[in-house]
Amino acid sequence: MTKTSTLIAVLTLGAAGAAFAQGNPPTTAPANPATGAGQQSPAGGAMGTTGTTPQNNSATTGTSSSGSSQSSGSMSSGTGTSTGAGTGTGSDTNTMASSSQPTRAARADRN
Amino acid sequence: MNARVSSCGVLLALLLAPLPGSAAPGDAQRLARAAVAAGDNKGGSFAVVDKQLARVFVFKADGTLLASSPVLLGLARGDASVPGIGERKMSEIRPEERTTPAGRFTSEPGRNLSGEDIVWVDYDAAVSMHRVRPNVKAERRLERLATPTAADNRITYGCINVPVAFYDTYVEPALGHRQGVVYVLPEMPGGGKTLGLPAE
Repeated sequence: MTKTSTLIAVLTLGAAGAAFAQGNPPTTAPANPATGAGQQSPAGGAMGTTGTTPQNNSATTGTSSSGSSQSSGSMSSGTGTSTGAGTGTGSDTNTMASSSQPTRAARADRN
Repeated sequence: MNARVSSCGVLLALLLAPLPGSAAPGDAQRLARAAVAAGDNKGGSFAVVDKQLARVFVFKADGTLLASSPVLLGLARGDASVPGIGERKMSEIRPEERTTPAGRFTSEPGRNLSGEDIVWVDYDAAVSMHRVRPNVKAERRLERLATPTAADNRITYGCINVPVAFYDTYVEPALGHRQGVVYVLPEMPGGGKTLGLPAE
């Protein structure tokens, strides 16, 4: 092995070591959950976070109170046409469990 | 997702008891007002499906009617689903089993096996509200929606078919992003029990 090749080998090893040393070490308490590592078996202790957000399926329980009955027969029907009024539901105050992602596995419907 | 008798089932029973099995135009509005008054809609948008009128009414959280539209419903008359029907292939469902169940359902957005975004009404029974799919020409689904009568709107296997534009404009914004409530009014005498109503 010549001096040149020895020098190249040393430089290569040094560069690789420096690059390795700059990587993020595993941690079970990452500042950013999405970069968590060090997951363990659930039976063996705490798992590092995987970056997934837990689904919140707990709907708030509404309080039932007696309401008043009011009858209205003013709705149109039987015309075969769609009727619409309003500007959407953007202003709704929705206290149902909110989830932008489907929580159920995809399956065939009854069409 | 099973039909859940709400805590205000008694209230709904009182309101609908004189009209079980019937579908006067005011039924949906009346139910909507009762639901909001009792907080049964949990402060969210909701829909009422009147099977006798073959029509869906979409309401804002405060009970204001957003819009209504004709819908297609299950071929068979009836307010219950055959147990286990959600696990069966379409080809294994007999005509008399093609019902749209009545009751109060906690709806939720989801997808079918084709990846289409839909609103599950009764997940276990595989009943959803979705855009009409005119895949089988002989079924004439679009034509059925277009006619002014409700009698020919019975063609599905149980799902609630909605015109595409109506779904995109009203159903998807109201029920396609979060859990909601869908009330399906019964059409059979005694079917009101699915809404917590006493049998006639």
